[in-house]
Amino acid sequence: MDERPVSPALKLLAFLMFAFLLAPLIVVVPISFSGDSYMMFPPSSWSVKWYPAIFLDGKMTAAFWTSLLLACAVTVLCLVIALPAAFALVRLRPRGAEALSSLFTAPLLLPTIVLGLAILIVFARYGLLATFPGLVAAHLVVTLPYALRVLATALSTLPIAVEEAASTLGASPFTVFRRITLPMMKSGLIGTTALCFLVSFDEVVLSLFMTGPRIQTLPVAMYHHVEQQADPLVAALSVLLVVLTLLVVLVVDRTSGLAKTFVK
Amino acid sequence: MTDTSTAPGQGFLSIRGLTKRYAGFTAVDNLDLEVPKGELVAFLGPSGCGKTTSLRMIAGLVPATSGRIVVGGQDLTEVATHRRDMGLVFQSYALFPHMSVAKNVAFGLEMRKVPKDEIAKRVKEAIALVHLTGKEEHRPAQLSGGQQQRVALARALVIRPSILLFDEPLSNLDAKLRDEMRNEIRDIQRRLGITAIFVTHDQSEALTMCDKVVVMNQGRLEQLGTPVDLYERPKTAFVASFVGRTNRLKAVATDGFADFGGQRFAAPGDLSGPVEVMVRPHRIALAPTGGEGVAGTIMRATFAGDILQYDIDVAGQTVSVELATRGGETVLAPGTTVALSWRPQDVFVYGAAA
Ligand SMILES: Nc1ncnc2c1ncn2[C@@H]1O[C@H](COP(=O)(O)OP(=O)(O)OP(=O)(O)O)[C@@H](O)[C@H]1O
Ligand SMILES: [Mg+2]
Repeated sequence: MDERPVSPALKLLAFLMFAFLLAPLIVVVPISFSGDSYMMFPPSSWSVKWYPAIFLDGKMTAAFWTSLLLACAVTVLCLVIALPAAFALVRLRPRGAEALSSLFTAPLLLPTIVLGLAILIVFARYGLLATFPGLVAAHLVVTLPYALRVLATALSTLPIAVEEAASTLGASPFTVFRRITLPMMKSGLIGTTALCFLVSFDEVVLSLFMTGPRIQTLPVAMYHHVEQQADPLVAALSVLLVVLTLLVVLVVDRTSGLAKTFVK
Repeated sequence: MTDTSTAPGQGFLSIRGLTKRYAGFTAVDNLDLEVPKGELVAFLGPSGCGKTTSLRMIAGLVPATSGRIVVGGQDLTEVATHRRDMGLVFQSYALFPHMSVAKNVAFGLEMRKVPKDEIAKRVKEAIALVHLTGKEEHRPAQLSGGQQQRVALARALVIRPSILLFDEPLSNLDAKLRDEMRNEIRDIQRRLGITAIFVTHDQSEALTMCDKVVVMNQGRLEQLGTPVDLYERPKTAFVASFVGRTNRLKAVATDGFADFGGQRFAAPGDLSGPVEVMVRPHRIALAPTGGEGVAGTIMRATFAGDILQYDIDVAGQTVSVELATRGGETVLAPGTTVALSWRPQDVFVYGAAA
């Protein structure tokens, strides 16, 4: 991005917004180092015992692996489905392409709770509740619209002449896609991957409907944990998750530039 | 060199009745063209006349509504772009942004499954040909416009295509670089004996570079000929005014003769009614009044170093006259009356556009 002079008012606004976004951390980080056995702010004593406690909690570690596997599966499936779909919508421009892409992004407009209820009713009939495939399908409902949006934007901003040049040089349509289109969409693809992964990993509402004693995702496990006992373990876990999210964002930024990926 | 038309089938590239219609709009209308092997042909015309569309149909990037494209006796009309073996240099260069210069140039050879060591050799040659040795590992974004243009040229040349197509490849360059690239393209094209089409809306580019010029207007071919043909024997008023500069004067024709300022010109065919008389400014001679010719009054004189330019009023119409300066001439003052004359072969008469 080009450097522009930033007015003091804009700087203040940015500062306030960051402060607003980071405010929860100001509470959560100290609590995660609490020596108390229940959440209290500020803590009356300090310790790091809650961090190792996370890894000793069988429920939490199992839920973490479920969430990680789930996020990976959702991300891969999302790319596999959304990439051809975006290509078809943007490049082949079938009749009603506009209507179709509105339809595909419509789930973003519905409150997740409504989606969750609908999915609950439908999935119950097919025995998909509290199963891994059921969770994957439910998460796809919310991640696919994002993926389609980002990839369609990435595709439609590519200069078509570059692909045409490749075909005049003797590249078949498939080779053009593989050697030219895909590499040029790199930042869009990395963005989609990060977005799908984070949305799925963080998802609470749908997962609440879809999980049970048999299978639990990490956010749901944390939710139930807080319901039952208010110890600072969840705060420590939250800090770890924030670090993980930051890592993902950092990787995206290093590989393709965050601004380039999400701001078109 | 008067007859430049070639019978169908005689050209290496043969375009027959090529037409492109969009909903309710004809972008290219029944284009016929024969290009002999090794010739450089310009497509010249104003913006929107269908040059790019014609080129894209030849390359297979746009399907033709009707007509045929034949190269070396083989009908390519239905053949997919990547099997046509044509090089296309885009106006926007269209380089692969994620590949180095060397990889860009090598791409077409890789697609042709040329052995690795030969690819390396030919890429090196092609890059040297366009004077980019040393820039092999640069990305396109690290090159100037002129250098990118030369990469695009090398990328299209290296595959030794049967036909090379250029879509206004020089329009983004500054004047000096444009002249250099013109000469380079012409040299390379001659040396390798490549059959090529060069799209441009710059008439001097078309005249100076190309063996033949196709003048297009509103999707139709106006005239095909050598640069000399077009300049000296323009078939239509459009060609006369688009190629080189000219005076367009209104006159009335009767009995096969047009009357302008008291002089009569043979009108081709049996034109009658309003006509346009065209004379190029530097083909008009001036003499003091009383001499042979059309009488006029000088309205404005402009001394521009190489030429002396007069705007002369002749019976209510302004005629522009240009005289090459030799030194020592007196600049005639506005108000002076003069006689204008020209050789019969320098005057063209066309039916006036309705
Ligand atoms: N996809 C399309 N749909 C409808 N009309 C089109 C389409 N593509 C081109 N045209 C029209 O066809 C005509 C010819 O376009 P073309 O690009 O061939 O012009 P050109 O001679 O290359 O002009 P320029 O010198 O400006 O590049 C234009 O009037 C253009 O508006
Ligand atoms: Mg064009």
